This record gives sequence, C-alpha cells and structure tokens, in this order.
Amino acid sequence: MKSHSKTTTRRTFLANIAKTTAAGAALTVAGCAYVKTASRHPSRKRIALIGTIIRKYSHAQHFVDRFLEGYGWHGRWHHPQVELVSVYVDQFPQGDLSRDREKRFGARMYPTIAEALTLGGSKLAVDGVVLIGEHGRYPRNDKGQTLYPRHRFFRETVEVFEASGRAVPMFQDKHLSTSWEECVAQVETSRRLGFPYLAGSSLPVTWRIPSVEVPLGAPLIESVCVCYGGVDSYDFHGLETAQCMSERRAGGEAGVKTVQAVRGENVWKLLGERADTERLLFAALARSHTLRPTPQGYTFPIPTREVLQRNNRAPVAYFIEHNDGFRTAMFLLDGSVRDFTYAGLTRDGKIISCQMQLPMPPAISTTADFFNPLVNHIEQMVLDGRAPYPIERTLLTSGTLVSALDSLHGGQVKLDTPQLNVAYQAPAQSTFWRA
Amino acid sequence: MALRKIAFVLEEFIVSAPSQQLLDRFLIGYLRDGEFRRIPNLGIAVWLAPAAENSTALADATTGLAVRQRDFKLVSHSNVTDALKDAEAVVAIAARDRVSVGEDLLKNVLEQAPIGAACFVHGCLATNLASAQRLVSIAAARKLAVAVATSVSTTFRLPEVDVAANTPLAEALIVVQGPRPLAELSAIDGLLPVVARRKGGESRLRSVRRLQGREAWRAGDKGEWSWPLLSAAISRSNTTQGDPVRDGRTQDLVGLGLVRKLARDPRGWIIEHTDGLRSTILVLDGVVADINFAVRSRDGSITSAQLYRPPAPNRAEFDRLAAVLEDFFTTRSAPWPIERSLLVSQFMQIVTA
Repeated sequence: MKSHSKTTTRRTFLANIAKTTAAGAALTVAGCAYVKTASRHPSRKRIALIGTIIRKYSHAQHFVDRFLEGYGWHGRWHHPQVELVSVYVDQFPQGDLSRDREKRFGARMYPTIAEALTLGGSKLAVDGVVLIGEHGRYPRNDKGQTLYPRHRFFRETVEVFEASGRAVPMFQDKHLSTSWEECVAQVETSRRLGFPYLAGSSLPVTWRIPSVEVPLGAPLIESVCVCYGGVDSYDFHGLETAQCMSERRAGGEAGVKTVQAVRGENVWKLLGERADTERLLFAALARSHTLRPTPQGYTFPIPTREVLQRNNRAPVAYFIEHNDGFRTAMFLLDGSVRDFTYAGLTRDGKIISCQMQLPMPPAISTTADFFNPLVNHIEQMVLDGRAPYPIERTLLTSGTLVSALDSLHGGQVKLDTPQLNVAYQAPAQSTFWRA
Repeated sequence: MALRKIAFVLEEFIVSAPSQQLLDRFLIGYLRDGEFRRIPNLGIAVWLAPAAENSTALADATTGLAVRQRDFKLVSHSNVTDALKDAEAVVAIAARDRVSVGEDLLKNVLEQAPIGAACFVHGCLATNLASAQRLVSIAAARKLAVAVATSVSTTFRLPEVDVAANTPLAEALIVVQGPRPLAELSAIDGLLPVVARRKGGESRLRSVRRLQGREAWRAGDKGEWSWPLLSAAISRSNTTQGDPVRDGRTQDLVGLGLVRKLARDPRGWIIEHTDGLRSTILVLDGVVADINFAVRSRDGSITSAQLYRPPAPNRAEFDRLAAVLEDFFTTRSAPWPIERSLLVSQFMQIVTA
C-alpha cells in the first residue's frame, strides 16, 4: 500500500500501536463501561473485518461499531451474536478510529489480511468475513471509478479459504468490483468453494416510507429510482434501490439486455421519449422528503419537467432494458433531492412507490442506522450459513454499473450487454427493515 | 363536499414554521399517498397579526405573503372577519414560540367562523382547562367541527406500528427535548394518539407529577417510570448524543448508564390516568434529538417507534397533517375527539403553572 502525504502507512501505524500497547492496559479509562470481548464469549461465532479505513462515518466504522457496540433492533439494544475478533485496515488517515476500537474492545488488528483471518496462525480461524472496500484514498480511473481494493480483499481472503481447506460466509460492501470480469470471478469462486456470499448496499434493507413491498410475482413492467450523488458512488445505491423491487416481478429477474447512461440535456431528451418513465419519475419524487423548494421560502411547487431542468444543471440517468422487456431508469438529480425514492409500474397501470430511508449523518442523524439491518443480515448469515438474498442481485447491479460507466465514458451510447444475462429469483421473504 | 375556501388566521408568518408549512400545502400543494396533491379551485384567505417592527416575522411576512399573493392568488385581509367570510374551513396557528393561539383571538375566530365550518387549531386549544372548555362551548353553539393538534400527532412512525385497538395497556413513555412547555406539548400530542387506542379508550387524568433534575432518575430507579421502556424508546433513536456525535459510534445509552450523564437539566412528568394507565414524559436534552415512545401492554409486550420528523425545510410531517386536515375539512368530521384536546389543555395547565 502506498502512503499519502497525510496518511500513515499500515506498518508504521501498527508499529506505533506496538509501542503504545504495552501501556495500553494502563490507558484503559477508569470506570469505563466497556469490557474487552475477545475472550468473553468463547462460544460465539467469530468474524474478521477487512476494511479500507476506519474513521468517523466511513463505512467500515459503521460496521465495526455495530459489531462491537451493538445497535437498536426491534425495539431493544441488540448485542450481536457474533464476535468481531480481528481487523485488517488498509489505510490510517487522520481521524483514524481503528486504534481506539482495538483498545476498547480487543478486536485485534493484524498487519495482513491473512493474519486477520487466521488470527496470526496458519489456518482460517474465523467463522465469517466482512469486506468493506469503501472510503479511503485510492486512485480513480478515467471512467470515474474509484479503484477500491475490493477484488484484492476478496482474492486474499479466498486464498486463506483455499489454503485452509475451509470457507466461511462472506459479506462484501457495495458493488463487487470495478471490473465485470472480477465481479464474475468472485461469484464463481464463491460457488466453487460453496460459501454463502452476501453483498451490496444498505438501501434494499433500510426502512421504507411507506413500508411497502412489491408482492412476489407482481406484474411489474418498469422501475425508477430517483436519488443523488456521484457516479460510481451513490448510483450503485440507486441501482440496488430499484433492483431489490424489480427482482420480485413475475418471472423473476431475467438479466440486462442494454444499458445507456446519459448526462445533461440528454437526460431530458430521453425522458421526453418515455412517458411511463416520466410518470414514474414524478411518482418517485412524490415520496421525497427533500424536494428542493423553488424558490427558497416555499415548501415546494408541484414539480414539472421545466422545474427539474432548471434545478439540475448536470443530471445523470441510466436507462436499462432487461431481457424480458422490463425497464429500469435511475436518475441522479443533485439539484432536486437528497434522498432515495422508488416508483414501479405494473402492467395494469398501478404504481408502487416509497422512499428508501437513508438519514445520512451528520445532517439528520448521528448514527447511520440504515446499516443496522445490513449488519443484522450479516450476523444471521454467519449464524445460519445462508445468505438472505441472492448474490446475483449485486452481481447484476455491479455489472450494470460497470456498463453504465462504459456508456457514459464512451459517448453516452446504448450498449448491448449480453454478459449481463444474470437471471435469478428473489426470495419470497421480505428482507427490509420493518419492525 | 368540494372545498372552495380555507381561511388562515396566523399569529405570525415565518418561513419553515407551522404557519408557512400548512399555508403552503393548501395554497401550493402537498405530497399525499405518493402523488402531488393540489386541491382544485380552492381559495385561500389569510389574516396575519401585526408583526413587530424589524422582526424576522415582519420580514418573512412582507416578502413571503407578497409573493404568494402574486404567484398563487393568496388573498390577504386586514381583519379576521373578512378573512373568515364564506370559509368552509379555518386554520388558526400560534406563533412558533407559543403553544396556543391567544385566547381572545381564538374566541374571535370561533365566534365569527361561518356556522358549521371545520376549524383546526395548531398547538393546544388553551393552556388551561376552563378556557378550553369555554372555546369548545362556543364552537358547539355554532356547530363548528373542531380539531386541535400539532404535526407530531400525525407524523410518520418508524416502524409503522400502532397499538392494536382495545389492547390493555399498563404503561407508556415518551422522550422529547426542548424548552417547556413546547416540549411537553409535543410529548403529550405524540403520546395520546398512541395510548388512546387502549382497552376502554382514553379516560381522564387522575394526577400529574413533575420530576425535575435528579428527582427524574430517582423516580425511575424506584420504578415510578420504567427504565426498560426508556431503553425501548431510545433504541428507536438515530440521533443519540455524546460519543456518537464525536465519532459516529452506536451506543447503548441506557445499558451503559449514560443517560443521566448526558441529560442536561432533565425533567419529566408522570401522568396517572383514571383507568390505571401510567404515562411518563421525559424531556431529555442532550440524550437524543428525536421523539421516541414505547408502551407496554398488560401481557408485557412492548411496542416502540420513533415519531419521525423529516428534515427542514420541507418538514414532510406537515404533509401527513395536511392530508388529515383535507379529509377533516371535506367531511367536517373531526379526526379525533375534542376530549383529547381538553385533556391536552388540562395537562398544559399543569405544565405551565
């Protein structure tokens, strides 16, 4: 790992830890309510977390703290039934919190992924692995993809699995990788080794307002997500927002046939050619709690295409055709909203719509509790040995995102995507947070 | 019945305050059931109390109302009588730092509203029971349908739970923040709709006891209110204060004993209802920054939720209130009994004493 000007290297950092650990016991805060948990629950299943960085509001921080501190769940404080025993962190920026967490909880940090998984021994010594390749300083390519080391995390983890002759459930945060070939390789590897593989975003599992689900087998013909944020970032959340609903349609997911990503005026041009999509766009906006008041001082006027055009100077949209004729559209409208909303159209003209609630700290929350259901699913997967929803969802959204960025970078043309022939069935049981 | 005219009687007009939130929703439109809703052919009249010179209220009123007159045909009147003329519905809203519209103004509104009109009062009816009863009598004499509430009573719940009708409840608790008596009004207005569904419905208040400072913790330690219910309520919060603000961590504030350390000048109210239900309001500044409740039924099961108030400037909880009000104005059937409002006024009399 290369260090950056304000970033301590991992080895330097760990060396510093070693110097201070001797005094670590003495540094324990008097009267502190925390107890190191490493040996407190020997019967609990153990997990390792491999992350890019742990600082305030990084994804890894959200996961680590929920495993260590617990989280609100079904009206009580929930202490996970799995024990986070080891951590590997790739970078140590200013504001690093990994050292603090290690000191308070005893989830030991290791200098390599292999050592985190073997707890310094020779064989896999944990019952589950959580890979968080989000945030941190990593290069971007010319397509705008941040080259997080998700594939490297996966590969090095699997090397330990193979060397140990044993594989355990794995969760991977957000999209699988920035390369379709790597995404496919990862899923194939999970199948070959036979370990439960769960991945993706918190959007499919967070609160919905209202708390609605697409009935399994519904005659859905189109999905739209309206959201905000950048490409190769929140667009993935938007795709998963739509996909977790779309996959429940009659016949299940059939795979993606074409992808076209556009920006600027092309968004409005293509929208003008798709009456149903425009109807769904406004239906999704009608679930937003952040629709921009125009002008300031109003709640909001009922939006029109003109209002959206005026407020969004650099919109981005992905238009997706599925193999069964189903359509998906995702809009990044930074000038209009700061939330994630969904609308789906059924064959008989009915609309199902909701907001996938993402109260982002620090603006409207202090803890990113939309991670609670995701952590709970990971916990259950490690305990039960079964992923709650199929990895194919994330494989398809990851591949769709890769193709969308290819389209955006390659002249905003429609791309045929025969490689995205990923068909799967959604689970019958709803997996979003509703209690 | 098609609505043709709503009259707004405002003690002030401030951007983002309830006055602007509700006025705009009927003037411009609001979000309802996944659609943009604008009541067709609806006229909005407004009377606004004079604002103090150089105040924010004056600035907002001058610019805000002027653009609304220009862009949305808001009709402004210089006296209440003209504003109320021929209105099928009336909305009276207190200034944002007050819990109730001034009694004289509200009396005037009720006396001059067209016979049979639907009247909504944002806040509480009055801060003493006798005044509230007088206002209710005036309304009854003029066949007015009256509803009183804040947006807390109708806002989103996370999760979307409700107490099953006729559930025998034993105990309820709600956590709020803010200055007295506004925090207490939010609390009682949030809690009563939840507990009113219990077996036998709402009864009357037998007693109200104030807790201040360390007395609040002592009462909890003695079981006069329930720490487990507080834990259940706070488990629904996503605005825990203290360490989570500093470094983003999740934290079991109750389990770790941090509530009493974080709370700044805590206060509370233990309400005994005549049917034996005990409701507790805890005003805990510095602990969480959202409103959460928990209720325990006699079989021991606990129901809890956050009364979710979406962010400003939209404050989408007012969409929920606007939907309830539109139905109220259209049917002239009050969405909840006036007795709830009298109970709130009785409680607020104690709180403001």
